[in-house]
Amino acid sequence: MTKIVTYKEGRLDKYYIPALLVGLKVTLKQFYKTLFLGQATTINYPEEKREYSQRFRGEHFISVDPTKTENCTACYLCQTVCPADCITIVAGERPEEENPFGVKKEKRPVSFDIDALRCCFCGFCEEACPKDAIKLSRNYEMATLDRETAIYDLDHLKREVKGRG
Amino acid sequence: MTLFDYIAVAAKILFIVGLAFSTVPIMVWFERRGAAWMQARVGPNRVGIFGLMQPVADVLKLLSKEMFIPAAASKFYYNLAPAISAIAPVAAMAAIPFGSYLIIGDHKVNLQIASLDIGILAVLAFAGLEVYPIMLAGWASNNKYSMLGALRGSSQMISYEIALGLALVSMLLVYGTLDLNAMVVYQDQSLLGFIPRWGVFLNPLAALIFMISIFAETNRLPFDLPEGESELVAGYHLEYGASKFALFFFAEYVAMLMASGLFITIFFGGYGLIPGMGWVLSFFQTSLSPDMFQNLTAIAQIAAFVFKVGCMMFFFVWVRWTMPRFRYDQLMHLGWKILFPIALVNLLAVALIIAWIGV
Amino acid sequence: MTTSEALTKPKMTIDGQVVEFEPGDTIMRAAERARVDKTIPRFCYHPGLPVAGTCRMCAVEVEKAPKLMTACSTPAADGMVVLTQSDRVRKSRSGVMEMLLANHPLDCPVCDQAGECSLQDYSYEYGPSKSEFKEDKRVWKEATTKALSERLTLNMNRCIHCERCVRFTEDVTKTNELLMDNRGWHKELTTALDEGMFNEYQGNVADICPVGAITFNDFRFQKRVWFLKEKVGICDGCAKGCSIYADEEKGTVHRYRARFNAEVNKHWICDEGRMSFHRYQNAERVIHPLLSASGSLNATTWETVVPWLLSEMKKARRILLLIGTDASSEEAATIAQMLPSFSSADFVVRSWNGTNGVQSSVDDAALDHLLRRRDHTSNTRGIESLGIKPWNSATEQNFDLAIYFRCGRATLPPVMAQKEIAWGVFDLPEIQRFAAVLPGLSTLEKFGTYTNCDQVTQSFEIVVKGPGGTASVRKVLDGMKLKSSTPVREVVRDTI
Repeated sequence: MTKIVTYKEGRLDKYYIPALLVGLKVTLKQFYKTLFLGQATTINYPEEKREYSQRFRGEHFISVDPTKTENCTACYLCQTVCPADCITIVAGERPEEENPFGVKKEKRPVSFDIDALRCCFCGFCEEACPKDAIKLSRNYEMATLDRETAIYDLDHLKREVKGRG
Repeated sequence: MTLFDYIAVAAKILFIVGLAFSTVPIMVWFERRGAAWMQARVGPNRVGIFGLMQPVADVLKLLSKEMFIPAAASKFYYNLAPAISAIAPVAAMAAIPFGSYLIIGDHKVNLQIASLDIGILAVLAFAGLEVYPIMLAGWASNNKYSMLGALRGSSQMISYEIALGLALVSMLLVYGTLDLNAMVVYQDQSLLGFIPRWGVFLNPLAALIFMISIFAETNRLPFDLPEGESELVAGYHLEYGASKFALFFFAEYVAMLMASGLFITIFFGGYGLIPGMGWVLSFFQTSLSPDMFQNLTAIAQIAAFVFKVGCMMFFFVWVRWTMPRFRYDQLMHLGWKILFPIALVNLLAVALIIAWIGV
Repeated sequence: MTTSEALTKPKMTIDGQVVEFEPGDTIMRAAERARVDKTIPRFCYHPGLPVAGTCRMCAVEVEKAPKLMTACSTPAADGMVVLTQSDRVRKSRSGVMEMLLANHPLDCPVCDQAGECSLQDYSYEYGPSKSEFKEDKRVWKEATTKALSERLTLNMNRCIHCERCVRFTEDVTKTNELLMDNRGWHKELTTALDEGMFNEYQGNVADICPVGAITFNDFRFQKRVWFLKEKVGICDGCAKGCSIYADEEKGTVHRYRARFNAEVNKHWICDEGRMSFHRYQNAERVIHPLLSASGSLNATTWETVVPWLLSEMKKARRILLLIGTDASSEEAATIAQMLPSFSSADFVVRSWNGTNGVQSSVDDAALDHLLRRRDHTSNTRGIESLGIKPWNSATEQNFDLAIYFRCGRATLPPVMAQKEIAWGVFDLPEIQRFAAVLPGLSTLEKFGTYTNCDQVTQSFEIVVKGPGGTASVRKVLDGMKLKSSTPVREVVRDTI
């Protein structure tokens, strides 16, 4: 419920000075609070870190099965749904040795590139994935020194991520 | 003049210039951290203890950057502007007394670089020079933003100098002198026995007008229109970088220092002791020789001066992080239609009262 | 339409719409004729194949008939009233879909057919959202990925036993390579011989497969079909000139599919033609102008090569203009008429084919009973109709300059002159003997007409943009007109 607060202009408001004094009081009060009571809201980033929600969407990864084979079957659904057009997949035949469990998986991604610089972290790829292969971890520290590193290849995506990171 | 006099003058100059040079980094640091504290932030706290070395790092960075002159700039005036900008306020401080006098051997050393009878006029003259670097910088940069900033700056400074001058004249009537030292001595009495006879109590209206005017004169918020970022990028010093920008930056804080010194000299008793200090000093009166007691008093006066200036500087910062910026027409409206008439009426009233009671 | 004609044609009603049909039509055929067949789903029925009636998906309600009738096999009768969307019909289709889906794997994301899959579409439209089938699905461990031949891969899990592929090899190619082994639950598609399939039309099997059971290796896993844009084209692989769809994405053609053309190719195209688009998308194709300098061909610009060509044509006294029989009729006519006007030399305009020893349409012959021809160029008849004769390399000699224009599979002719210029589509290994190469547009990149071996003239449209610095004939000639000092006869518009 929004409360509408109205302010009736008094006679003193015409001369500004009282209002200015009120303003000065506010800043001085905050000055005192921050300096002596330590009430700064700043998070000292590298030492302290903000606790993000469990649903935070950060750096991508591709889940793997116990034999370290990616769950991805190169279905292109993520590439299709991606609004930023940042996923590029090249599909191919999966070699026989990567099919240890009864049913043969036909298709695999030969290459799977995500351009993190184009990605808008909407999570549509995660939602579209029928194999729960592509996921967004909770890692948000993705700064790189060059653009090439920001284009994640399959090896990088298959890195070990515990839970959602 | 004897050798001693030369040494004394050199020492005083060193003191004032040293004060200016040490105030600027501290003020830069305090401006940033003070802003942070008023906004419930932490501010720069990484370089040195409490981030105190931050301004040093900033200055090192500015000094080591490339000195770049835009191709279309007028080179001579482009280089001249920051120099004038830095020199003028330091020179103006020469006439401001920061203590009564020291007695060293049989010499009496006035704690004022230039003891001028017309000290206030000298200060005003040097402070008035501050318009030139802004105008020169804006014009010489050959940049539209700079030019607009310079036009705003100069017209604003000239407009507010009138109100400032009128407020000052009313105080000159009260003190009956142009000598800043004499003004301080005048104020070093008490009014009705319990409050100091400071200009601010004698004529609070003039103090208010004077204070508003010095905010405008030093281009500080809420009157920092010459460098209004939202419309002028950086105003008159847009094309300046490296050490030339550092000089403008330096000048802003020295101007603040000078304006604060002038303001407290006229309205807050200058180097006059803060109530209570005299009481503390009186304990030493018997145990010290009269000369040594005078020296102790002078040191206390310097401390009082520095303390008062410090409070005034804090006020500058405090106001900056509280007030929003004026619109330019509002600024002119305030200067010409409000402060100017009030200052005139104030002057007339002061003159009539003085004529009536004949102080 | 006169009254007498209307009386002679039999009529039936499909979903309240009165349609006419030819005597002997089935309900499906009548619906197709009237273009109302979209409401009749089908798996085993294909207009190019004999009717089998095995899938029961096309069952429709016929008034006065006690049971649902299969539209594909029930002959249409005068006055018949057919309902294709009644509750009974929809319930029947839902039942059929549930049976088909009982064993069909849920691997649409992996399946190449997804997006153009009949089973997927009809499942959305008619299928039940839940299955009563609780048991494990039948899984073919060996035949999950099994090669039917070098060109085809079979995934038996996805097969719905429509037998279109079997009927194709029986009735279209008449090679009988495919058959269904066993019955019921164990029914499996196999090849008759261990060597696998051997006919030259295998790609059609992948095309007609309603699900993703049979995939064509050249396209398998290359692209999801929903990314592709369907463009109309003509295959220029041989003199037949089959109608095709060229499916393209972002300037790259990914596959050809047969486009129905009753006069030329019906529903089919051969494998050679199906894969022929690779010829224009290989890395070896010359896509920037080349000019020889100090013994080697160097990359240059059109601004340099066009004035150079003009000056060479001015210098020469006798010029041979050789037009490959794979040029479109428009290109050939334009070049043959315009180019001589840039020079006062003695111009000889001839055509060149050279594929399989064919020079003119007289030498051409069919390679089999279906589509393939000996002549591997697309427009031999069209060039002939322009009056351009084949070049007799033995008798016609002594040229200063020769310009060879070709856009497709015409071979390199024997040495024509001291200085030879290649214009059109060439690959790097072919160009060593030429003094200059002017890259032109292939069938995919231009529009024009081809006249095929049966005198059927077809037009084709631009599918993709020409790569690199390739330029159309029109552009090159415009450039030459700008650079040439003498006025040029305007003949192009009048003749084409």
